[in-house]
Amino acid sequence: MTRDGIALEADLLGKTYGGRSRGWALRGCGFALPAGRVCALVGPNGAGKSTLLALAAGLLRPTEGTIQAPPREHLAYVAQDKPLHPRLSVADTLRMGRELNPGRWDETAAQRVMADELDPHTLVRDLSGGQRTRVALALALGKRAELLLLDEPMADLDPLARHQLMGLLMADAAEHGTTVVLSSHILTELEGACDHLLLLHGGKIRLDGAVDDLLAAHTLLRGPVADLAPHTVVESRTTGRQLTALIRHEGPIEGPWDTQEPSLEDLLLAHLRTTPEGVPA
Amino acid sequence: MSTLTLKGPYWVTVRQYRRTLWLVAGGVLLSLVSMVWLRYWDGQTVGTNQDNGHAVLRVAMDWAATAMMVLPLLVGAFVAGPMVARELESGTYKLALTQSVSPARWLGSKLLTAGAVIVPATLALIGVYRLGWGSVAGTWSFLWYAPDTYVSTGPVLVGQVLLALGLGALIGQLIRRTVTAMALTGLVTGLALLLVGQLRWSLMPVLTGTGPLNVGNLFPGVPASSWQGGYGLLTASGDHLPAEACWNRTKEWDVCPADLNVVGQYWEYHPSSHYWPIQLIETGIYLALAALALYAAFRVLRARHP
Repeated sequence: MTRDGIALEADLLGKTYGGRSRGWALRGCGFALPAGRVCALVGPNGAGKSTLLALAAGLLRPTEGTIQAPPREHLAYVAQDKPLHPRLSVADTLRMGRELNPGRWDETAAQRVMADELDPHTLVRDLSGGQRTRVALALALGKRAELLLLDEPMADLDPLARHQLMGLLMADAAEHGTTVVLSSHILTELEGACDHLLLLHGGKIRLDGAVDDLLAAHTLLRGPVADLAPHTVVESRTTGRQLTALIRHEGPIEGPWDTQEPSLEDLLLAHLRTTPEGVPA
Repeated sequence: MSTLTLKGPYWVTVRQYRRTLWLVAGGVLLSLVSMVWLRYWDGQTVGTNQDNGHAVLRVAMDWAATAMMVLPLLVGAFVAGPMVARELESGTYKLALTQSVSPARWLGSKLLTAGAVIVPATLALIGVYRLGWGSVAGTWSFLWYAPDTYVSTGPVLVGQVLLALGLGALIGQLIRRTVTAMALTGLVTGLALLLVGQLRWSLMPVLTGTGPLNVGNLFPGVPASSWQGGYGLLTASGDHLPAEACWNRTKEWDVCPADLNVVGQYWEYHPSSHYWPIQLIETGIYLALAALALYAAFRVLRARHP
């Protein structure tokens, strides 16, 4: 069970596949995601995004630490490879959603995702990647979950379908107050849709917070090379006598620099470039 | 096989494997029709076993007995591979286990559905075999204790398929590769059946007959249809000696040295009336092993999936 107002919470969460000596997919992760947020879970390939989502979905047991998510009935999960039974038809797949979620299945929500795009008699194995994604999302939304866990949901979709489904997802989440966690390594896919950010790198949480707060806490500055104390430097580069730095500012910035609020992309790239590779012990 | 009245995970299982279900139903029906036809053909010539119909029936019964011996292996392989390991291998378990159904109910509904199909199908096949057996029973290679006939005619086969089901559920989860799980389940099931089969004639005390030395291997008082076990020489004190104990010394089968004190011979046998008690005890062993395998399968499931 989760605390009031918190949809998903991890504490010192760690997961290793096949023995502690084989390296950690996740280690020492802690965060608390407030309910109702649309959270972007970003990070490079192999950062541990899929592991974190599978742990949240209850498909994996943590090796150490805890993760608190709503029970199975109250969460929906779409795995990265969109697993579906290949020999069931589209209609049967949706019927499966109804059969396996008695009393909570919302056919209207599922049909809204389907948008009459697919012949219900088509077998799942004859669908394209994008069409499979649509069916998988219909199953997830039809379940009327409190927490939606979507692992790279838009990767297979063409831009038009991506735009349509993202819009639908956001509208549905806003209407029902659903908490959504979307993972991606392509930030532009999520920018503008998400109001919360979890940056995962090398199995650890590097950034966690509301997007607005994170942006407000950081400053991008340009100017002469000088000591940046007391601010925390996330990343700095010097070209000749010119300094470009992204800092987490402590108090007002006083100095001969041009300052501006960074974009989300600036922030992520700066953190990704400077956090150490590999998983610290 | 209406899917209309099924609910929840049972509907999903039946829908997923409906082709196999039709195949099983078709197979049972086909074997029944063939057997009725063979019996009819055999019955056309009354009073002799030297007709073509009877010859074909015998060949068919040979094949049928072999097929019945293999049935548990097929059941185990199907449960382990397509029903369990494939879901884990292809990732579709992620779909099933994130709906509102607990892992135990997910696996339980699969196994219950499989059992609800396999048990009646096996009973039907036993019925079909017995139908054909009625014409060849008691003849060479179709005696009640012939290993394949013994298995194909009684509840032992039901116990065997249920054990295969349990082993399939366990091995399918442990191996998580469809083809490997199928092969390994076939192998383990085969070994388990072989081991229990070895114990078969020790499950019930044998009857012992005794008689004079000079009757050779014609055991008076033993019904001809009996399964025959060990035999040997009997001493005055009631001890059993190997059959060749006298021959080793005198080079005569019925002349014994006085110091051996041989008073006659003994023979051990199971009369055909032991068929049902042994069948039931052996079935009980398979059911107990099946329960163990299923318990282990659900323990593994619970350890893996919260």
